[in-house]
Amino acid sequence: MAYRLGIDIGGTFTDATLINEATGEIRIDKVPSTPRDHSQALLEAAHRILTENGVEPAQVTYLVHGTTVATNAIIEGTIARTGFVTTEGFRDLLEIARQIRPSLYDLQFEKPRPLVPRYLCFGVPERLDDRGKVVTPLDEGAVARVARRLAEEEVESIAVCLLHAYANPEHEQRVGKIMREALPQVPLSLSSEVAPEFREYFRASTTVINAAIQPVVARYLQRIESQLRKEGLEAELLLMQSSGGVFTFAEGRRRPVFMVESGPAAGVISAAYLGKELNFPDLISFDMGGTTAKVGLIQDGTPKITKDYEVGASAQAGTGAQRGSGYPIRTPVIDLVEIGAGGGSIAWVDSGGILRVGPRSAGAEPGPVCYRQGGSEPTVTDANLVLGRLQPDHFLGGRLTLDVEAARRAIKEKCADILGMEVVEAAHGMVEIANAAMVNALRLVSVQRGYDPRRFALVAFGGAGPVHANRLAAEMEMPTTIIPPSPGTTSALGLLVTDLKHEYTTTLIERLDRLDLAAVEATYRGLETQGRETLAREGVPEPDIGCVWQAELRYVGQSYELNIPWAENRIDSATVRQAAERFHLEHDRANGFSAPEEPVELVNLRLVAVGRIRKPALRQRKAVGRDLSSALAATASVYFEESGGYVCCPLYDRYRLEPGHRMEGPAVVVELDSTTVIHPGCLAEVDRHENLILRNRASR
Amino acid sequence: MSSQLDSIQFEVIRSALVEATEEMAVSLRRSAYSTNIKTRADFSCAYFDRELRPIAQAFGQAVHLGSLVELVPRAVRAYGLEKLGEGDAILTNDPYSGGVHLNDVTLISPVHVRGECFGYVANLAHHVDVGGGAPASIGAFREVFQEGIIIPPVRLVRGGEVVEDLFALVMAQIRSSYETAGDFRAQMAANVTGVRRLKDLLTRWGAETVRTCQEELLDYTERRARGELARLPRGEFAAEGVVDNDGFTDRPVRLAARVVIDERGVLFDLSGSDPQRPAPVNSTYAMTYSACAYVLKCLIDPDVPVNHGFYRLVSLAAPAGTVVHARPPAPVVGGWETQTRLTDVMLKALAPALPERVPAGTKAMQCQVGFGGTDPRTGELYAFYEAIAGGYGGRASRDGPDAVQAHGQNTENAPVEEIEINYPVRIGRYELVEESEGAGRQRGGLGLRRDYCFPDHAVSFTILADRDRWGPWGLFGGLPGRKASYVLNPQGAAARLGSKLTLQLRPGDVVSYRTCGGGGYGDPHQRDPEAVAADVREGKVGPERARRIYRVAIDPVTLRLDEERTRELRRG
Repeated sequence: MAYRLGIDIGGTFTDATLINEATGEIRIDKVPSTPRDHSQALLEAAHRILTENGVEPAQVTYLVHGTTVATNAIIEGTIARTGFVTTEGFRDLLEIARQIRPSLYDLQFEKPRPLVPRYLCFGVPERLDDRGKVVTPLDEGAVARVARRLAEEEVESIAVCLLHAYANPEHEQRVGKIMREALPQVPLSLSSEVAPEFREYFRASTTVINAAIQPVVARYLQRIESQLRKEGLEAELLLMQSSGGVFTFAEGRRRPVFMVESGPAAGVISAAYLGKELNFPDLISFDMGGTTAKVGLIQDGTPKITKDYEVGASAQAGTGAQRGSGYPIRTPVIDLVEIGAGGGSIAWVDSGGILRVGPRSAGAEPGPVCYRQGGSEPTVTDANLVLGRLQPDHFLGGRLTLDVEAARRAIKEKCADILGMEVVEAAHGMVEIANAAMVNALRLVSVQRGYDPRRFALVAFGGAGPVHANRLAAEMEMPTTIIPPSPGTTSALGLLVTDLKHEYTTTLIERLDRLDLAAVEATYRGLETQGRETLAREGVPEPDIGCVWQAELRYVGQSYELNIPWAENRIDSATVRQAAERFHLEHDRANGFSAPEEPVELVNLRLVAVGRIRKPALRQRKAVGRDLSSALAATASVYFEESGGYVCCPLYDRYRLEPGHRMEGPAVVVELDSTTVIHPGCLAEVDRHENLILRNRASR
Repeated sequence: MSSQLDSIQFEVIRSALVEATEEMAVSLRRSAYSTNIKTRADFSCAYFDRELRPIAQAFGQAVHLGSLVELVPRAVRAYGLEKLGEGDAILTNDPYSGGVHLNDVTLISPVHVRGECFGYVANLAHHVDVGGGAPASIGAFREVFQEGIIIPPVRLVRGGEVVEDLFALVMAQIRSSYETAGDFRAQMAANVTGVRRLKDLLTRWGAETVRTCQEELLDYTERRARGELARLPRGEFAAEGVVDNDGFTDRPVRLAARVVIDERGVLFDLSGSDPQRPAPVNSTYAMTYSACAYVLKCLIDPDVPVNHGFYRLVSLAAPAGTVVHARPPAPVVGGWETQTRLTDVMLKALAPALPERVPAGTKAMQCQVGFGGTDPRTGELYAFYEAIAGGYGGRASRDGPDAVQAHGQNTENAPVEEIEINYPVRIGRYELVEESEGAGRQRGGLGLRRDYCFPDHAVSFTILADRDRWGPWGLFGGLPGRKASYVLNPQGAAARLGSKLTLQLRPGDVVSYRTCGGGGYGDPHQRDPEAVAADVREGKVGPERARRIYRVAIDPVTLRLDEERTRELRRG
């Protein structure tokens, strides 16, 4: 028997997922995270899930790890002491950043502190022009002097970013050579290798982050690798990247900036995998937990990727109101909208007498009032309980009995009384306001980016997702909602159903009608060779390697590029024409207009090299022909606005449902880690993989 | 509120209205061509109800806070509400019918439901060039007519189609016609997005419900703003300041602000300010109003929405014919310099009453750069525009940040590499100006240096800035920041330049901007010696200045703090 093991370290819990490769059977376990040394929880989780399921470490063929170790190092300031070398006259690139304030009206604002203090930043005489031509030759003597200073300052890592190095890496490479000779033990990150794209501050920031987390990540990976080996694990060790692909520990050590957002990616990957298996290639994933809700869009089975991302920025709800509050990176990151609306979001009445929800959250500690852990402020979970959408005796499989009275009291005192409302009205209001925030997030990833949500299915997971999903889908007019089994652990599954992936970019700015076709093709071939070699080093057999050529295009004069795949991996007049046509279409979709008569410009060449990994099949269950009534656990009184109040409806035990069962709303389905609410007018059906498929009457 | 359920609908519709303007902003930014709009976010979007009251706004720049509010109602009324049909849009930049400076061009579209006008969406964007006497349409002129094309409210779009004759006439005045045409398309797309989004909302909730919510939103906002007002100190507070010169004479431009806070709201009385000048320092009423709205917005809970209910609390007394309320034909292109300084003056007035909240003097100038010529690489005309940051003022418990935009202005820097790809210029240096901070217990931020080199062609170069005679003031014993300087060919003859002029540069010339540092807050002798030592270690302050100004002794070799000698220095 062969198994795959996924381990995802979160803020509160570390999740382990074990899949039997032959049967697709999934096992899940959770242990508390150990923030002081994450490797402890990782080993504990791995050890426990293997022992409890009687699996020998040697039976694990590969292990995928999702970790926030890189992000935490930045947020907590435990990064390496890093030196920064740039072109003379530009020493303050990191200090100046974008010269903006992160908030418009805050007179007490602060700019994010540069990750490298000014005394470790150095300019060296050299200069290239925008075509990579040398304007001022590199002063190697000056570089050697900087190397000596960096040695004296005992830096642990070095980042080099020279102006226009994306166009010509030669000066950076010579700086690198001198640094390596002078400081052979100190790791080095060159911007022309880490993120060879124009726009110096963004490239420098990406390179500096890579350098600053490199020693931290390397030490961490070293530690867990040796301990896992000691446990007898022989599996290939892989890491989740921000883009949703995985790479080996070796690559992770080289380019750790690619795994900065390793955590949130897994949920979207899981949704995409589910969609592929169920033949829903276009999906919106909705992951709602205790403190936030995360929404992502998947088109044609592929999650949307962004390169406009800031590490450590305040959560964004609108359009970049907090731009400039973090550290930008220009590596591919799964495009998620994250909003501060979760089960733990606190309701309050503002000074204008209006009911509001969030952004403050009761989190895991003290948690909602009904958890009886000392929480005193009413949360969305408390409201759902009062409305009957969560059932006091059927939460976490009855392990935690929820205190309805305490929830009612908190909502009454903190909201209803102040507003002059009934408790139930206030509770319903809380849920609707949280829903409105989530609808805005759903609009942001779909309508605002030019996608019609009515053509997408919603995949809802996370502990709180299935409670709200049906209502959100109705509001967005999305015809189908998918609730996977065990929604609280859907995210962790994502670690085990993705591919090895490496992405390479290089800047080449030229109008499409003036391209040197042969030269562009040669550049792509060069990138492809890099990708193939890396995958081969990682042990991927040749037939499992696939490369996708993409181009970032814009109208001449614009500043935002759209990523357009080439029709074929070939650059000739036909594929160039096709790319331009595709660009006009995409531009029209994303921005509401196109200008086919205007010249289109190539900005970046992008290559995605994928090493395909066989996916486990989703487990199928045969119906034994039990009647739906055998799954009926109880009846519940649940509040629905459309029914004008509380209605008595069936409460089903999800574990007793079987494929083919159909339920009319109103109804509630409970399982260990979540509750699915089926609204009146909605039909739910259990498919052969035990997913709940919800359809609204209007679209049936 | 009419019924309890409405209170929930209200919160839902309210956020959807704001979201609609945010969507307009995204659309505008993503599809614009000029660096100024797409990278520097020099624009704003708004939605107005049928009565032309502002309901929801999305800002790239706070400086536009009051601009659209003044401009849209006047432009729509001037054009004639009744003449506007579905799919129409009017264009305007007229400073004297509610507008600001000519570069800021506004497009307004009505939102119709069932043939009736429900409201208006509008967006304002700073165009890199609108014609006039110098590339980028900035410079020192005597009359507004020299500053570029003046567009009174005219119908640019009719039933969804661009009125080509008019568009051609506008475009013929503009140097960077390619970019600007793209920007106009982006403005149209933004309004189409806004109209579509509002129509969705009206279909979803019904016009009557949305209208009721809008009314409630204004009352709610006013209620909350008044609640905040009650927490501000009552009284009358006054201060004065100057714009250093006007571009033609060295006579400082006097700005006087009296801020009166009482139960009715906040009155900004600027009556003591100088008469307008035939020079580029005049602010229009809308620009000045923006400064007032910004100041109030900074002093209240940031969560209070911005709409008519908020603006009800702001009143402005600015006599016509002064530099804070110019009359035709006064030039207005440098009005933002005056407007930004005015913001600093108003905050200074409030400093004694709100010492914990008000910063010392900030950069408080736009500090604009404009140049253009014929690109030797393509043979085409080009125009470039940007604005450079400076030091922020020290605050009661925090230093002023280095190199950052201040007040209404929050435009990003364009990446050097992007500029060099798109324009025939080379940026020689871009770095902090060491020792430019205003010393204080909390020091001001450092200014910024940016050098523009033109190796291979002649250009027309405009500086439209200020602070070349005095640096930003300190507060409560803090010292002023170092003043700005503008230098021609710093590595050769090094000639000092004025802050408002247009130069004809020869190939090989370099213009160097060194912006001012922020003012200090509190006595520099009380500055934490460790903080001084950290500044010395970072090279932001030298050991000599540490000793002389802060009375902190730093070992010149180790750059470590010498506590013993510091105590001695401070005792003396």
